[in-house]
Amino acid sequence: MYAVETIGLAKQFEKEGSKSARIIAVDHVSFGVKEGEFFGLLGPNGAGKTTLIKILCTLIIPDEGTAKVAGYDVMKEPDGVKESIGWLHGETGGRALYWRLSARDNLMFYAYLQNIPSDIAKKRIDALLDFFELTKDADRLVKDFSTGMKVRVMLARTFLPNAPVLLMDEPTVGLDALGAIETRNLLRSVCKDLGKTIVFTTHNIVEAERLCERIAVMDKGKIVAIDTPLRLSEMTKRFRGVEVKIAGLQEEALKVLTKVEGVKRVRSVQPEEDHTVIQLEVVNEDDALARIPESLRKGGVRLIGIQVALPTLEEVFMSLTGGDKREAS
Amino acid sequence: MKQAELIEILTEDKPRVKLPLRQFYGVVWSSVKMMFAYKSWMIMDLLSTFASVVMYYFVGLQVNPLSLSQTGWGTNYLAFALIGVATSNYLWSCLVRLSHSIQHEIRGGTLETVAVTPVDMLTFFIGQTVRGYLVSLILLVGIFVVGTGGMGVEFQMMPGPLIAALILFILMLISNQALGLIAAGVIMVYKRGDPIAFLVASMNEFLAGVLYPLEMLGAFPLLQAISMMFPYTYALDGMRRALILGASLADANVLTDVLVLFGFSAVLAPIGFAVLNWGYRTIRANGSTSSY
Repeated sequence: MYAVETIGLAKQFEKEGSKSARIIAVDHVSFGVKEGEFFGLLGPNGAGKTTLIKILCTLIIPDEGTAKVAGYDVMKEPDGVKESIGWLHGETGGRALYWRLSARDNLMFYAYLQNIPSDIAKKRIDALLDFFELTKDADRLVKDFSTGMKVRVMLARTFLPNAPVLLMDEPTVGLDALGAIETRNLLRSVCKDLGKTIVFTTHNIVEAERLCERIAVMDKGKIVAIDTPLRLSEMTKRFRGVEVKIAGLQEEALKVLTKVEGVKRVRSVQPEEDHTVIQLEVVNEDDALARIPESLRKGGVRLIGIQVALPTLEEVFMSLTGGDKREAS
Repeated sequence: MKQAELIEILTEDKPRVKLPLRQFYGVVWSSVKMMFAYKSWMIMDLLSTFASVVMYYFVGLQVNPLSLSQTGWGTNYLAFALIGVATSNYLWSCLVRLSHSIQHEIRGGTLETVAVTPVDMLTFFIGQTVRGYLVSLILLVGIFVVGTGGMGVEFQMMPGPLIAALILFILMLISNQALGLIAAGVIMVYKRGDPIAFLVASMNEFLAGVLYPLEMLGAFPLLQAISMMFPYTYALDGMRRALILGASLADANVLTDVLVLFGFSAVLAPIGFAVLNWGYRTIRANGSTSSY
């Protein structure tokens, strides 16, 4: 059984200012997400990701098709769906909280609505506030919080019901780099250790690539591709590149790498906790694999690893959604 | 806290049972907490209401007792005005509080976070109205305490008139809250109805005779006819008959007011719930449960 399943799901909206014109938000979308799977929805603005997520959490009524979450039909059994989901709308930038309540009271209010017994709710609230480093501010009004703190309260709220399915719309928007890394680690862990199913949308292609077991690429309301990040990358063969992993984040490394013969450009720099992954576009992978370690050694940069890189998801994404052509034109 | 500890605490679980009353309590609890977060607003509201009582005291000194008694409402204008002023807060609360609150929730995105929980939205919406009732209750008690204790106003406090006034008051709440539900349902969909709700509430307050006897509208038959369309007109008439003139349910005029209000309530309440449901379903259909 799928934890999340849609069949022929479709939704159109009236175009603002015109009764007859319609905007196709979701165009007969069908997919299934297995229990315990980390599933990403990736697409440009207006691709229909948020509408799709909102249909799954019963906020929007679809025009056609069916959708099931945790085995419950979103139209016929909304209460079952609501009891099975944790939902986060990160794009609100922390607005979807009661600003005149404290962080603790926001969570307690949600616990009442979620029918969580008081003793369990209090324990979880304390633990979540502690985990998200909000304990000392727990009793301050949310209106005085920074955007990052508000997003952390929203994340705590999403985990509070310990629901089997987490539907997360841009969960790391508004967080600082460290907060985003910690949140990604937590998401990865709740998916792996607790067997939660996570469906999340993101604009951050690197984030999707690193977290998701499968990704659906959406464009103009349709799913244009759905597969593992690796297989999606294999779809595009144009790219020739290498991926270099170095210790820490060293500006010097970038200077050295761009001077290596055959390196065309730096494609991406992804800092992690104790290392940095740099992707380079090169003329020839074999030559680059031979030259780069030596150049880094001479430049005093500690190399952890180097390998041939497949096209990034960004390139796959651009290719699938026609973004490269749009950009060129 | 480490991730492993958090995960251990999250996994400790008990079966969840849906208890609508507990959810309702949660809505009221959070709503009251938010109300107390607006301390300066609360203090200003209380002060302005009590200042209005003092103002009507002085207005009352200028009203000729004979002309008031000719309209059949005794000789104390302050007693007449106090009933109107004390209950008009409830009128506003019933008519505009819910729609205002829903608009605020839609703009802030909080309506969505509530809508994805297993709470029945009607429980949430009704819970939202309680805060307005509590504020109005504080003002009502304050006004009567200031009026009777500080300014010597006397009301008929026998059981018969009190029971009649209480029944009329409850029917006033039901019928006006039903109108408030209709306003909330419409405003939820069209988003820009606040000025209309404000206008209806103001007209209602003016034409129902909060500050003057309706008999004075005799020269304006159209306005008098419009005033008869508002439930509040009958509520004020009945409550004044009970508390100023000492009439009970046995009085034909009071009984008529009760029956008319009952009729309003019986017709408007189902319409109110239907329109609110329609509004909520419509915003789910057109994807406008939030508008940030």
